[in-house]
Amino acid sequence: MPQRTPTVLLVDDEVMIATTLQAFLQLETAYNVLSFTDPLKALETLEQEQVDCIVSDFMMPTMDGITFLKQARDRWPSTTRILLTGYADKENAIRAINEAGLYYYLEKPWDNDHLKLVIRNGVERSALFNELDARVSALENAHKELYGMRKKLIQAFM
Amino acid sequence: MISEADLRAEVERLSAELRHARAQSEDEHRRLVTAQAELVNSAKLATLGSLIAGIAHELNTPLGSLNSNHDVLRRALGRLQIILEDEHVDQTELAELRRVVRALDGVMKVNDLAVERMVKLVKSLRSFGRPDQSERDTVDLHDGLESTLALVSHQLRGRIQVNRVYGELPKVDCFPNQLNQVWMNLLVNAGHAISGDGTISVRTRAETEGVAVEIEDTGSGIPPENLNRIFEPGFTTKDGRIGMGLGLLIVRQVVERHGGRIAVRSQLGTGSCFTVQLPLQLPSNPGRST
Repeated sequence: MPQRTPTVLLVDDEVMIATTLQAFLQLETAYNVLSFTDPLKALETLEQEQVDCIVSDFMMPTMDGITFLKQARDRWPSTTRILLTGYADKENAIRAINEAGLYYYLEKPWDNDHLKLVIRNGVERSALFNELDARVSALENAHKELYGMRKKLIQAFM
Repeated sequence: MISEADLRAEVERLSAELRHARAQSEDEHRRLVTAQAELVNSAKLATLGSLIAGIAHELNTPLGSLNSNHDVLRRALGRLQIILEDEHVDQTELAELRRVVRALDGVMKVNDLAVERMVKLVKSLRSFGRPDQSERDTVDLHDGLESTLALVSHQLRGRIQVNRVYGELPKVDCFPNQLNQVWMNLLVNAGHAISGDGTISVRTRAETEGVAVEIEDTGSGIPPENLNRIFEPGFTTKDGRIGMGLGLLIVRQVVERHGGRIAVRSQLGTGSCFTVQLPLQLPSNPGRST
């Protein structure tokens, strides 16, 4: 499989945070980084781009982070979902893990090295899922081919 | 016949009883004053608590950015040093150099915003809670309104839009710190009255004998039977938290000490509007601070 550059999508209604995260990832990683301040715009982009890892804020005016990540999970289940929130309350953390199938829950202010590690693992996880999908469909195709050959063989000898 | 001596004794006895009763009622009054002071104090603490939580939350975003940006700057400088120490800089390294400079440019811009926001917040905080409670000054009321709005913004953000309709206001002789308590109480109440999305309008205007500030919300409104009771001590519709039910009482006391008036009109399901009217000059014997 040809190597494609992994894409990381960032959503935070604070342009300050979105820009900061983007600058850090652009300096320290080779990822293609997309950053948004509106989760609705991010969902539109997700329709067009293959994204490996999403990092989202929680409290946002147009849509909260849990709802956003839940919608992302329903449509693109293999994309890794990370919540990066300044609004730490246990209830919402549990909700996020249960409802949005969260990969990681991070609190602001974050540690850059830790964030990078979490995103890298998230991207790998997503790549593994995609590879698994590809292998499974290859296996299914091979199985179909074998079945067809078997049928032909049986026909030839009967 | 009752003798004069008997009468005198009776008067004496009644006087003693009266003295006793008076002493008792004075005791009672002292206890009530202490209890009221305690209640006012706990109301202040509750306001202070929510204020501090708000500030911590508000500082978290610019601080989170600065913290990360500082780290990015350190890393980027490290990279630049490595490239600059190399005498044979080639095209790939120049591309890397450009990438580093781009990242630096981005974080510097955010740092400007982050520092600016923190400075503004700290300024608001200082002008809101002037250390000398009894400081009397002649001020533009918009400054206090803006400081207070900055402090309550975390409670409103994303949910409630603030609509400012500011008129030309003459300066007002007042205790700015006490009036800020009034704006704080009215704005926080307005925020609480709106359960989902809504608007708070802050209007100011000059009047013939002073100024008026209106704070109107598109919230749930106050039932007509409660409208006359909201300024009474202890009246609250909020859950039995200590110190509740004093906000509007304090608001009225502060406004009246300034020689002003507060009025409310409200419609159930549509919203409420509080109007504070203040004279330009404090009355000759203004009260002490709360």
